Amino acid sequence: MSALAQATVYGLLQGGLLAMIAVGFSLVWGVMNVINLAHGGYVLLGAYIAWELHAAWGLDPLIGAVTGGLVMFGVGYVVQRLLVNQIVNAPIFLTLLLTFGLQLVLVQGMAVVFSADYRSIATPYASQAFTLQSFGLADVRVPYGRLLAFVVAVLATAALVVFTQRSRTGLAILATGMDRTAARLMGINARHVYALTAGIAAALAGAAGALVGLVGTFSPPDAARFTLLSFVISVLGGLGNMYGALLGGLVLGVVQAWAGQYLPGTWVNAVAFAVLVGVLIVRPAGLAGRAFYEARVEAT
Amino acid sequence: MTGVRVLAAGAALALVLAGCASKGTQNQTGDTVNLGASMSLSGALEKEGKLTQQGYDYCVSTVNAKGGVPVGGRTLRLNIDYQDDQSQPDTAGQLVDQFNDKGYHLILGPYGSATTGAAMAVIERNGQVMVDSSGADDKLFDRGYRRTFAVLSPASVYAVSIVNAINELATPKPRSMVFLSADDGFSKTVAAAGEARARSLGFSVLPTQQFPAGATDVSSALTRIKSSKPDVIIGSVHLAEGIAIIKQAAELGVTPAGGFAETVAPPTPDFVTTLGTKANGVLSSSQWVPEVKGSDGFFGTATDYRNGFRAAFGQDPEYHNAEATAACLAMVLAVRKAGSTDPGKVRDALAQLDEQSFFGPLKFNDRGENVTKPMSVIQIQNGKLVTVWPADQAAGRLIWPGAGG
Amino acid sequence: MSRSAVAWGLAGAVVLVGMIVLPSQLYTGQVRVVTAVLMFVALAQAWNIIGGLTGYACFGQVAFFGIGGYATAVLMEHANWSFWAALPVAALGCAAFAALIGLPLLRLRGHYFAIATLGVAEGMREVVTNLGRLTGGGAGITVPTVGGRGTAWLGNDGFYLLFLVLAALAVAVAALIGRSRFGYGLRAINQDEDAAAAAGVNTTRAKVLALTISAALTALVGSAYAFQQVTIYPQRLFDVDITVIMIVMVVIGGAGTVLGPLVGAVGLQFVSEYLRQHYPQEHILVLGAVIMIVVLLFPSGLTGVATRSGMLATIRAYRL
Repeated sequence: MSALAQATVYGLLQGGLLAMIAVGFSLVWGVMNVINLAHGGYVLLGAYIAWELHAAWGLDPLIGAVTGGLVMFGVGYVVQRLLVNQIVNAPIFLTLLLTFGLQLVLVQGMAVVFSADYRSIATPYASQAFTLQSFGLADVRVPYGRLLAFVVAVLATAALVVFTQRSRTGLAILATGMDRTAARLMGINARHVYALTAGIAAALAGAAGALVGLVGTFSPPDAARFTLLSFVISVLGGLGNMYGALLGGLVLGVVQAWAGQYLPGTWVNAVAFAVLVGVLIVRPAGLAGRAFYEARVEAT
Repeated sequence: MTGVRVLAAGAALALVLAGCASKGTQNQTGDTVNLGASMSLSGALEKEGKLTQQGYDYCVSTVNAKGGVPVGGRTLRLNIDYQDDQSQPDTAGQLVDQFNDKGYHLILGPYGSATTGAAMAVIERNGQVMVDSSGADDKLFDRGYRRTFAVLSPASVYAVSIVNAINELATPKPRSMVFLSADDGFSKTVAAAGEARARSLGFSVLPTQQFPAGATDVSSALTRIKSSKPDVIIGSVHLAEGIAIIKQAAELGVTPAGGFAETVAPPTPDFVTTLGTKANGVLSSSQWVPEVKGSDGFFGTATDYRNGFRAAFGQDPEYHNAEATAACLAMVLAVRKAGSTDPGKVRDALAQLDEQSFFGPLKFNDRGENVTKPMSVIQIQNGKLVTVWPADQAAGRLIWPGAGG
Repeated sequence: MSRSAVAWGLAGAVVLVGMIVLPSQLYTGQVRVVTAVLMFVALAQAWNIIGGLTGYACFGQVAFFGIGGYATAVLMEHANWSFWAALPVAALGCAAFAALIGLPLLRLRGHYFAIATLGVAEGMREVVTNLGRLTGGGAGITVPTVGGRGTAWLGNDGFYLLFLVLAALAVAVAALIGRSRFGYGLRAINQDEDAAAAAGVNTTRAKVLALTISAALTALVGSAYAFQQVTIYPQRLFDVDITVIMIVMVVIGGAGTVLGPLVGAVGLQFVSEYLRQHYPQEHILVLGAVIMIVVLLFPSGLTGVATRSGMLATIRAYRL
């Protein structure tokens, strides 16, 4: 019983971080109908930035997350404005291709600049844990590093939701996502808004990368894995739905943790995909219900 | 419209022919011995591929500095042509064929058991010769190939050495062990051999837990074994999983009474730099340590090798470097012994090779494996690798229990 | 027969004869390179049927590739079948699998279909990895080619011919479908599925049939690949990169056409091979840059380059 409780808690914490990795991907897909295959590369780049800051000046990964996020915002904005905006109206294959090429350039570029070494940001507190036993509950250990990542992830997602639903810019993003032509007619600069959205998504990805470095290891081949995860979580949660991404991440984390306890360890990934396919067949709009995507009106 | 399409078809055909017309570089120039090497310069094994390449490069520079490879009455320059197999076995096989086209019949092994296996099949078909530096899975040598020779100890020795060392040196002797294994072929072979050895020595062995190769999250396996309280946790892993085991064991409060041991991961520098003090006490086995006995005319003793490598690259060599240099050295010694670069003669020379080197003895059984060379067992103490077993190589005492930072 | 059809037929015959003669002019390594090109031609054409023509972007195409390969390997290794017997059975089995999963999955549209098929492909890889007794799991499975068991390895030239036949088959099937009523139905579904249904196209049947044909072709290629590689691993046989490369080739060449995937496959494979040989350290980076440039400058694919003004108009139409 205690093992299951431990697995559940651990899975939840993991899931929060996964959600933060995915929420930007979901946002971009939902608002702009763009699948950014380079998203995993953004996460990785954020991790490297945080690592370099830690190595050079001893900065804690949380500060690295903020810095990485800001830098990645710039990267995402520029990439969207200069590159992806050129083919937004084209069949979706083209954005796939473009971002695929971008992913190759980014990941290989990072391998050349930073080397293919496995990295991790070592902090004295990350692996320490307190145990819920001290609260009178089961003997479940909660590692500080993962707890921190979880809290940051949830806060960032909540902040994103507040931002999009309450601020002018956020509403402009949502509006452009729903009906681009109408938004432009209302005076919204769609090019800028798209670039802003991509920038926010990249910023979250980069910050998530720094947190990944805090709790585990990373190396260039991980970029593809992050992108795949983002795919799964975005669909689980409903495209463009940010609370959905959080929910999707948590569900994925917990399901994988439970699978790891009751099935042989190598079945964990198979379970994740079974869940994905199952959810899609039964409830294509994702777990959180309404998919942003279906509400969109596209001008022909 | 039709005209354009026919044009496009013609362009496609022209591309095909043009691509074929580039026949690559010509035959070997008379004063160089060219070796082909398919290497993981990108992809999942890029890091290890670069370490192997370093080892090969060091061999080339050292041999050439000493005048080159003696062939017959002359000395020829040594050169290695690298191509990127992207860590993919099918690409490695294709590259070996392409080397054959260029007239390169002497091949140095790629990184890892899967790519080496693919290359071995092609080597056998083409009549080339390969010296394997990193493909250790015993199953590779079950196939009856005669043209590949591995300088490194086979996979079955990796964990067995650790178990033997614990059995001989650890006091108090642990009672139970558990193996955590990645699910790739090499790791599974290592774990199976280790388990068998442990059982035969009387240890109680818990059921092995497996996880996907390359996993950075092994929490499920650790959570499952926590309540059984094994005395020793042995990881049959590579670097990513190896780091994850130590890190997450600390997070989850899994503290074996005896300690941790892992294959492959601990000797790589990233292990210590990533884990810091948590790496202390971890045991591992290594294909080479600076205390290995033996020396040769090119690299001297193991300590000489370490000093020379350090001077050349600014860091100490670890065993991936050493096994690569040893493979290149074996090829050079075979060419010297054969007095020719003809693949058939070199193959026979390798089969009969019996030399000492900085890497230990270089001698192959009829399966092509180097079984005369033992693996050493090391322990990380204060962030440094210390050889603790076998006795004639031990530079320090085993710290037991080893767990804890 | 129309003049265009005759012209195409002749051109095709010329190319085919040329390709048969080609290996005698090449070194072994180059024959392998061209064999890889032929393999991707077949794969790209097969994907084009469901992805380009019908507009259902199948991100899980490699599942069929892997199923074909593993079915063949398992039949040869455990049931002692010959390759030639295993090949059609693997393709039929995979076709049945595609029809089975096609029914629920093809109800999904657009991105959801894409991601669901991706889930199936990744899931199949995990399943194969876990059925260790049958498939060898992560350690791979070896096809028997020596010692009287299984079928003798075909040799580099033999595999060249095998893949040439498969590529020609895929091109022929794609061409036939393209010109048939069935193909028009698929195109109609691509343009506007509801209108197509209203016009009398049995969209479910058409989509499932397209997926089945695409899967069968892909499985044939996977079978041949497994035999060629002798030892196969799940990470490679179900590698999502293979699907991505297929899609890249189709789109670079021009989706929905017969010539497009051909041009895309040949072009991309040769470019990446050239880059790998001449820039061993940075070829992937250069390849990525090349892909990006091609997408930005030739958004309707290389075969869509009708006129210069048409190209510029397309670029302007695609940008935001």
